[in-house]
Amino acid sequence: MRLLESDSLVLHSFDYRETSRIVRIATRDAGVLSVIARGARRPKSPFGSAIDLFTSGVAHVRVNPARDLHTLTGFDATRSRSELAGSLARFTAASAVAELCLRFANEDDSGRVHDAATSVLDAIGVATPDDVPAIALAGAWRVVAELGFAPSLDQCATCHADLVADEPVTFDHRAGGALCARCARLGPRGRLFPAEARETLRAWLDGTESALGDSSTRRAHQRLLREFLEEHLADGKPLRAFATWEAQSFSHAPAEHA
Amino acid sequence: MSAIEDLVTELSRLPTIGKKSALRLTYHLLKQPPEQSRRLAQVLGTLTERVRLCERCFNLTEEQPCTICKDPRRDAATICVVEEASDIAAVERTGEYRGVYHVLGGRLSPLDGIGPDELTVTALVQRVGAGGIREVIVATNPKLEGEATALYVQEQLSSLGVLVSRIALGMPVGGDLEYADGVTIAQAIASRRQMR
Repeated sequence: MRLLESDSLVLHSFDYRETSRIVRIATRDAGVLSVIARGARRPKSPFGSAIDLFTSGVAHVRVNPARDLHTLTGFDATRSRSELAGSLARFTAASAVAELCLRFANEDDSGRVHDAATSVLDAIGVATPDDVPAIALAGAWRVVAELGFAPSLDQCATCHADLVADEPVTFDHRAGGALCARCARLGPRGRLFPAEARETLRAWLDGTESALGDSSTRRAHQRLLREFLEEHLADGKPLRAFATWEAQSFSHAPAEHA
Repeated sequence: MSAIEDLVTELSRLPTIGKKSALRLTYHLLKQPPEQSRRLAQVLGTLTERVRLCERCFNLTEEQPCTICKDPRRDAATICVVEEASDIAAVERTGEYRGVYHVLGGRLSPLDGIGPDELTVTALVQRVGAGGIREVIVATNPKLEGEATALYVQEQLSSLGVLVSRIALGMPVGGDLEYADGVTIAQAIASRRQMR
């Protein structure tokens, strides 16, 4: 049993029994951890609102190496992110990024997930609804890159031949990125990947901003990311927050006057 | 699977009941007269047969509409929107609210697969759009998911010309400022009201 004190971000939490909550946090020093906050649902709980979704703070955790569930003994909140509840676009995008971190991360990522997720959530929090998809997609791909899963864009993912920069290619999720024409012919599995889309994705992976055009481009990028994650997530469970994010983008305008 | 294992499995699906508690309850039932277990089974059967969602407010009820919706002494022009039917009991305990309700059936939580389509927001919009509603009070829980849900409800009702209000957030009655966390105090200051 050891004590851990680390900068952390609340990625998910749910009720456990009558008075407790189970919280999944991205820590800077121990990756993503599941912790139990005993008594957190009591009206006078010392946790208060500190362990609300997407809150940053310093977590005090009693780590039990023999178990997957550790004990949260305290959480000093330093930043709540109420602005993420300000629109459905922000909230669903932030949830999709959190889901990505929860599903991909492990306990040995040197704080990369924590730092990347924190900066993405901050960027989503100040984005206008129209800018949210591009910012969230850029952030999600950055998290993917930090975890070492970045797709190959400039070399063929199969034979490593250099690809011409401004030509459409085939993107094969299973191979892990773009394919040269020869490899694409040998394994016809991928989807067409226009040059502009490759350029946008390259910019996002480099940490540079790149706006998205119309809604169909946005939708195509959301689908590309989801398919890529589904291919590389071994557990086969559906990406529920991603599905909600994609559905939300196209179907929930305010009601018209009766 | 044996009858005992069957019951333990079913009981352990209930909230707050783990395998050990389920086993304890199973042995307790086996020690009781058989009539008591039969009575329990009968009550559970009746519960699922009789209890339905109110077609107007989605409260749990045995009659249509529910007793609150059809009570003529209640203010039908004011709707309090809550996450779950159990929240109605909490508001009713105050004895202060005389309007009617609308149960959303949860709160937005994409990580748990709950998006707008899983809630009864469309039914609420139709109810308000039908007319006769003066105010909608959004009483979702003061967590981030609850706030996102409240803002989504407000956005969906924004063009219908009704007053949409949010329950106040901040310090609990009887609490100490000294022991409150920073987020709660900040909310309380943001939601301050003028003293008259």
